[in-house]
Amino acid sequence: MDDIRIGIDTGGTFTDFVIFAGGRIHTRKLPSTPANPALAILRGLEEFLADGRAPTVIHGTTVATNALLERKGARIALITTRGFEDVLVLGRQTRRNLYGLRGERRTPIVEAGLRFGIEERMTASGRSVRRPDRAEIAAVLDRAAAAGVEAVAVSLINAYAGPEHEEIVSEELAARGLLASVSSRLLPEYREYERTSTTAVNAYLMPVLHRYLSNLEANLGRAELRVMQSNEGYITAARAKAEPIRTALSGPAGGAVASLHVSRAAGFPKVVSFDMGGTSTDVSLIEGRLRRTNENAIGDFPVRVPIIDIHSVGAGGGSIAAVDAAGSLRVGPQSAGADPGPACYGKGDGATVTDANLVLGRIDPDYFLGGSMKISPARSRAAVARIGVRIGKSVLATAQGIVDIANANMEKAIRVISIERGFDPRDFALFSFGGAGGMHAADMAAHLRMGAVLVPANAGVLSALGLLLADSVKDYSRSVLRTLDLVRFRDLDRACRDFERRGLAEMRADGFAAGAVTFERSLDMRYLGQSYEINVPFGGRSTAGLRAAFDREHRRLYAYVHPDAAVEIVNVRIKIRGRAPKIRLRRYPVVQGGDPARAIMKTQPLHHAGREYRAPVYDRSGLFPGARLAGPALVVDAGSTTFLPPDYGLLVDRYLNLILRKDARR
Amino acid sequence: MKAFDPIEIEIFKNTFVSIAEEMGAVLGRTALSPNIKERKDYSCALFNAKGETLAQGSHIPVHLGAMPLSVQAAIRALPFEDDDLVILNDPYHGGTHLPDITCIMPVFIGGRLEFFAANRAHHSDVGGMTPGSMPLATEIFQEGLILPPLKLVSRGRMNEDVLRLLLANVRTPEERRGDLLAQVAACEKGRQRIRDAVRKYGLSKISSYADLIQDYTEAFLRRTIRAIPDGDYAFADYLDDDGITDDPVKIAVTVRIRGSRAVVDFRGSSSQVKGGVNANAAVTTSAVLYVFRALIEDDIPFNTGLMRPIEIIAPPGLIVSAQFPAATAAGNVETSQRIVDVLLGALAQAIPDRIPAASSGTMNNVAIGGYDPAAGRNFAYYETIGGGMGASREFPGLSGVHTHMTNSLNTPLEALENYLPLRIRRYALRRGSGGAGRTRGGEGIVREYEFAIPANVTIMSERRKFAPYGLRGGLPGRPGRNTLISGGKTVRLKSKANFTVQAGDVLRIESPGGGGYGPPRRGKK
Repeated sequence: MDDIRIGIDTGGTFTDFVIFAGGRIHTRKLPSTPANPALAILRGLEEFLADGRAPTVIHGTTVATNALLERKGARIALITTRGFEDVLVLGRQTRRNLYGLRGERRTPIVEAGLRFGIEERMTASGRSVRRPDRAEIAAVLDRAAAAGVEAVAVSLINAYAGPEHEEIVSEELAARGLLASVSSRLLPEYREYERTSTTAVNAYLMPVLHRYLSNLEANLGRAELRVMQSNEGYITAARAKAEPIRTALSGPAGGAVASLHVSRAAGFPKVVSFDMGGTSTDVSLIEGRLRRTNENAIGDFPVRVPIIDIHSVGAGGGSIAAVDAAGSLRVGPQSAGADPGPACYGKGDGATVTDANLVLGRIDPDYFLGGSMKISPARSRAAVARIGVRIGKSVLATAQGIVDIANANMEKAIRVISIERGFDPRDFALFSFGGAGGMHAADMAAHLRMGAVLVPANAGVLSALGLLLADSVKDYSRSVLRTLDLVRFRDLDRACRDFERRGLAEMRADGFAAGAVTFERSLDMRYLGQSYEINVPFGGRSTAGLRAAFDREHRRLYAYVHPDAAVEIVNVRIKIRGRAPKIRLRRYPVVQGGDPARAIMKTQPLHHAGREYRAPVYDRSGLFPGARLAGPALVVDAGSTTFLPPDYGLLVDRYLNLILRKDARR
Repeated sequence: MKAFDPIEIEIFKNTFVSIAEEMGAVLGRTALSPNIKERKDYSCALFNAKGETLAQGSHIPVHLGAMPLSVQAAIRALPFEDDDLVILNDPYHGGTHLPDITCIMPVFIGGRLEFFAANRAHHSDVGGMTPGSMPLATEIFQEGLILPPLKLVSRGRMNEDVLRLLLANVRTPEERRGDLLAQVAACEKGRQRIRDAVRKYGLSKISSYADLIQDYTEAFLRRTIRAIPDGDYAFADYLDDDGITDDPVKIAVTVRIRGSRAVVDFRGSSSQVKGGVNANAAVTTSAVLYVFRALIEDDIPFNTGLMRPIEIIAPPGLIVSAQFPAATAAGNVETSQRIVDVLLGALAQAIPDRIPAASSGTMNNVAIGGYDPAAGRNFAYYETIGGGMGASREFPGLSGVHTHMTNSLNTPLEALENYLPLRIRRYALRRGSGGAGRTRGGEGIVREYEFAIPANVTIMSERRKFAPYGLRGGLPGRPGRNTLISGGKTVRLKSKANFTVQAGDVLRIESPGGGGYGPPRRGKK
């Protein structure tokens, strides 16, 4: 088989590669090259680009996110309706810090002189009251061009209801060859601020992604470049250049896709993925499929394209412990990051969560990052002891306290994506990956009364692996804003068909056979008057049953229904999936009669909940399918450590995942 | 005073705050009216059995100090039983102004009342003289339906009589019912989470931290006050008028700092007035606590511990301690802002580097109501408009935001135009309205409404005569302005006005800019 598929995930520290060639999976980790992320990629791909080979490369990139967070996007102009030029400044009229007397600094994404209002008006029902004047548009574009803008965002009032005026503006833009980001194409949904923000951020990123991807393509020879989006699927490089906003929150998307597939294969379709890194922890709820949300923001900017519902908190291995003015212990959100890093790295003096874990014996100091990095338990003890003196606690009690508080912060994140969304965490397993997750996963699961913990194989390159498990996915939506009794099935169906036709054409252009393309229709609904929508599948041949489906979901989420209230259809949504060839996860036979004790490298003291144990440290690579261990124990591999508490047992499954359960020991 | 464990306090703080925030998420998502769901004009909090706040979600500051008084009034008025839910809005029995309806649910553990989960939401109509229930009234009876503490739910059963009476007295009953059910659902969520926490940690632990968390917050405030130089600091400012006469209304304060204690003395302020700008003691307490909370530059839970180091002196019958039956609709939303302005003005003399110039000082309340023949229904809509933030030593004031006692969101005009027979013609910064200074005050907002059908409009605004002050040589922000353009004629409206508009009329609200900080540089406006 000559088909080579390569997943590449660019992270802050490492660029991860998962290469599927000749039916086998290889992984590779190279240091990232932040100034030009393409360098690390090309270095890692060298041998696959030789001899004119044409691998498919699926790329997860943070170029868009970083450009936005670091404010290194393009100079752009905004064209909106006259009288609403300040829409991005006014936002929702709120301040970030409720009690901040000093105020706050804000840097708008579009400079003051480049926000243009034109005379035009559309009503909320999509009727044109005043058509825009082409001469006025031309004059505005002259001024924008003279100011040297690289892209133009177009967002007119009520354009979600009728795109005609925006089309006129974009014709003029096209005639001048300017990059255009048009709200009624990108996000035809009501709420002018959020739509305009999404459209402007997209414009801001267009030239950046254009440069980055064009450069990468030029060096990739015959390779086909695909780019991961934040909605769980990838798109072609050409589409990513036109709608870079869709890649802007894609960082954790690969990991989420891998979580879905790996946990499903392991027989756990319902999991909470738990990715604890150095500075933050990402959690996401998976119930046989990835859940999505439209209520996102990057930095200060609302971005309303659908993305995987991932909640992030500022708690990670590098979170620093501190004592506040009233004498209470706090952990994070300040982080020591990778530099200076935890005290045990030898540079910084702040006691971090990693230091606390080291003090408690949850890390093997001789085998940190596979033994490649020297760490100092003495420095950790000293740092934790400094905190302990200030709160009058022993080193061990302080270390346990730091871990407990970090756990409480992360538990809150899991509550947000489960209980606040109407799910009971007890029905889910915890799927833990990321460098620090394995040390906390069992505690977290116990607190939330989750039955099992999965720690996957390849946890260190899970995001890149996910890229090879992803499909191509496109999302379309349009605001309808009609009550259910007034809406006709025919009209909804037509709206869906329009998108399906467009999506199918695009998928075929991207190389998918018609038979590999599937459509998923859904509706965002709410009781007339509410402002949060609930997404309900729309698969039938009529609108019958929609009301009941909506009421059911509302009851599940909020425990009550309004039987007499009108129900409104806010948006129609179409998700179009091009089914991509995927790698198969390798399944190994169970080894009979093996002895896991052979994988014990040493024993070391371990402290848990105020007691001391002597715990074996297992080399994960020495564990085989079917192996069973009893806690307390540590299981280490090159990228992470898994802590098995005293009352837990562990089973290695046929995919080499570690499955932890309470009282599972024999 | 029992000392808290430095590790456990952090975990329980986290627990209490997250319960309050989870209640808020339920309320915001399930309410029906734009004012609650889009603008998030509500607050949720937890209380111990004495009615002391343990933690409150970060929502609307003006609700903060007032909510424990609601719970305490309900405790005095009624015997609580398991599965009850009490509602109230009576400013003279635990409320602030009538549109703010508070729901209080007792949490029984093992047959004993141990906690309360409560929330307060601004309803866009509770009856009274004009749609939106922010009328130019002279006594509270004209302002809407008065709800003393009443059981809306009694031992798990909805008290339909109370609900029917309530809904019969408001202009938009369906919306009110939906919003009330959302409030009930939020209380239930709070109760459930408190019970979960008790199961997890045990009642004695939770109860003891319910007290300790207040000690914790108190410790922060005492530290903060101790850092302010001892002394007496006096300041006064004015409300434009009470909406009935044109007389300015004085608010005077002397803040006496002594060690870790502060006395806030309002003697010398005007007596209560005829129009609705009267603030009751709950509103004044909220404003005072907001200011002291804002001085603490740390992330701490907002609870009753904040009250302990502070004594408020306000003999009954002042504009800041109004007595029955004074009208109070604007006391909560307008007078509260001026109380903040005078407190900050006084503290600026003690800690000038840390206090900003005056912000716009008004919420620019606009209530619109009428009958929409196309939709075949009554409508009652309420919104507030932000303004300029006062500049601080470090930063220019933000433009076009809500400041101090509120942080409610705007309603997207695309939502508004979808549901109401009007169009927004302009929603923009009001250029040049921020006061000049070394750092500039933020700009106010211009918002223009064009009506498609006749409607009744009430405006409750402030700072149309008395400008938001600048500090340390900074210039004041420009006062606001209300204008009606009808049949080609432009009419200047007062700070507070009620009037009828015709199809095609345009209402323009220009909100004040914030004050500047420090002398403006030469050659710079």
